[in-house]
Amino acid sequence: MKPAGRRWRLPGQHWLLVIPPYLWLLLFFLAPFAIVFKISLAESTIAQPPYTALYEYVNDVLTLRLSFSNYLFLLTDSLYFDAYVSSLRIAAISTLICLVIGYPIAYGIARAQGPMQSLLLMLVVLPSWTSFLIRIYAWMGILRNNGIINTVLMALGVVDEPVRMMNTELAVYIGIVYTYLPFLVLPLYSNLVKLDNRLLEAATDLGAGPVSRFLRITLPLSMGGVIAGCMLVFIPVVGEFVIPELLGGSETLMIGKVLWGEFFNNRDWPVASAVATVMLVVLLIPISLFHRYQFREMEGED
Amino acid sequence: MTETTTIAHPAGAGQPEPGSGGAAYIELVGVSKSFDGALAVNNVDLSIRKGELFALLGASGCGKSTLLRMLSGFEQPTSGDILLEGQSLTGLPANQRPFNMMFQSYALFPHMTVEQNLAFGLKQERMDKREIESRVGEMLERVQMSEYRKRKPDQLSGGQQQRIALARCLVKRPKLLLLDEPMGALDKKLRTRMQLEIANILESVGVTCVMVTHDQEEAMTMANRIAIMDGGRILQVGTPDEIYEQPNCRYTAEFIGSVNLFDGVIVDDEVDYVNIKSPQARNTLHIGHGISGFAGQPVSVAVRPEKIQISLQKPEQAFNCEAGEVDEIAYLGSHSVYHVKLGSGMDVLVTALNDERWAGERLTWQDKVWVYWDEHSAVVLTS
Repeated sequence: MKPAGRRWRLPGQHWLLVIPPYLWLLLFFLAPFAIVFKISLAESTIAQPPYTALYEYVNDVLTLRLSFSNYLFLLTDSLYFDAYVSSLRIAAISTLICLVIGYPIAYGIARAQGPMQSLLLMLVVLPSWTSFLIRIYAWMGILRNNGIINTVLMALGVVDEPVRMMNTELAVYIGIVYTYLPFLVLPLYSNLVKLDNRLLEAATDLGAGPVSRFLRITLPLSMGGVIAGCMLVFIPVVGEFVIPELLGGSETLMIGKVLWGEFFNNRDWPVASAVATVMLVVLLIPISLFHRYQFREMEGED
Repeated sequence: MTETTTIAHPAGAGQPEPGSGGAAYIELVGVSKSFDGALAVNNVDLSIRKGELFALLGASGCGKSTLLRMLSGFEQPTSGDILLEGQSLTGLPANQRPFNMMFQSYALFPHMTVEQNLAFGLKQERMDKREIESRVGEMLERVQMSEYRKRKPDQLSGGQQQRIALARCLVKRPKLLLLDEPMGALDKKLRTRMQLEIANILESVGVTCVMVTHDQEEAMTMANRIAIMDGGRILQVGTPDEIYEQPNCRYTAEFIGSVNLFDGVIVDDEVDYVNIKSPQARNTLHIGHGISGFAGQPVSVAVRPEKIQISLQKPEQAFNCEAGEVDEIAYLGSHSVYHVKLGSGMDVLVTALNDERWAGERLTWQDKVWVYWDEHSAVVLTS
């Protein structure tokens, strides 16, 4: 429609703009990943570093040793498969909960007027001013058997003995939803705030009531924000380690915890690296989905 | 720019008057609306006939848009009532009124195709799927957009978007169509074409229509009747030529087209003529018919530029005749506008057709000229 807006850049100059982010990605994403991938193809050994070298050059012979045993090992032990599935399940459920809670919040903020809007946005961002770790420890204080919730419930006589919440999957969900909610609310808010009120008026004029307006205008037009927000929650939650470690119990199986165990308890770097590589491949699907939608959103704004 | 009105105006004058003399279809009775104590619409009474294209014309902030929003149901009147065929619409929300509005920005749903946009309103009525399809197809045919049915709104030009916005309203077969600044989003050239195109579509559908505009040319080209609004009130209602030729107040006379206004007092008030003395004119201003006034009453005399003759020779009449000097000339091709400075210092606008190709005979700057007009050309305004 409006190609004029894209013409301001000269063909040669636009590479200058593109190079820094790609260099950044190369240095801080691709290089570390290459190292992890390399280690995943090695074998574990008691040495420093604790894995075999990928190649040897002895007597004019270059020997390349690529071991796929780590990947095959992941298939043999159901622990890994279960951990992946469990991580994806927990991430999916927490994303859904975040969406159910976050959509009305984002909608409310987007509809609020002037100073009220800034205040509400502030309230969403404010908790992240304290350290994430401290906030998770605070949740431990709230959820413990002798924590705030149980003390109040027992004082009111609702329950006779403390409800066990710490070290359950419930605690993990609470922690994840609490931590990641802003990541869903903010992109969704910035999408909803752009919604043209005249479209809703036009829908009203054509006979639509509030429910129909939401389902047929607001929701489809905010889909970009919903997907962006959901991916920003889903992707990091799959690999989440701190929350299940601190709030979850032994029954909460998540790939982040397995990864940690392989690295630090078993000192098996190659297997840990294989776990990380597979996790990345699994996450490629939602990541590419996210990028496709983001791209489309930006195209639409152009 | 206002001079163009004189050209646009005959088109409006020749239009037939649908439903003239019929009973009121939509009626506004003492409608007022205030926002935080400020009166936006002040005690408006209006009746709109079935099948007519009615324009609310006024400068921005005159209350015309608020009036339109009250008709559509987005705003409720603070007092007064709106009736459709005698039934009160008070309290009926916008989504339940059988009225549809074409928004200035068109407000087409960007995530839906042309077809889906048109079907939206019909789906709300829970209409049968096949019925929706045939109505949408028929309407797209009428606005000549059938081949664009699968396009998204941002793949259409401004004029095409407008036709879709119109079709989306009309497909609901509304009892009243509301147009909010229908040409506001189009460039000038396209505007003239779309005015006629839309007027033709509306005529073929036969829908009753109220439009809001600040563009007098648009109102005069498209509407059967016009209401002039200012300060939340309706000053005059009439056909385009009534509004132009018989303005009832200074505001209307000045708002529509250009006008020369002489302020004066009535000196002779007779049954078949009136004489007015004005400090701006040396000679008596003579009106060839009686008015409901009294001697000594302060009035204004309005004369349109094209009703004034301009000549180097002194005319034979003793009244409505002033000497002056050509101060400025605006050459507009088909006609020229002369600014003639009178002895009193008043600037009189005179429009003259350039019906000769050779400019040798034309007046030029600093020419001493006479301006004069017929006893039936001027209008006396008492307010």
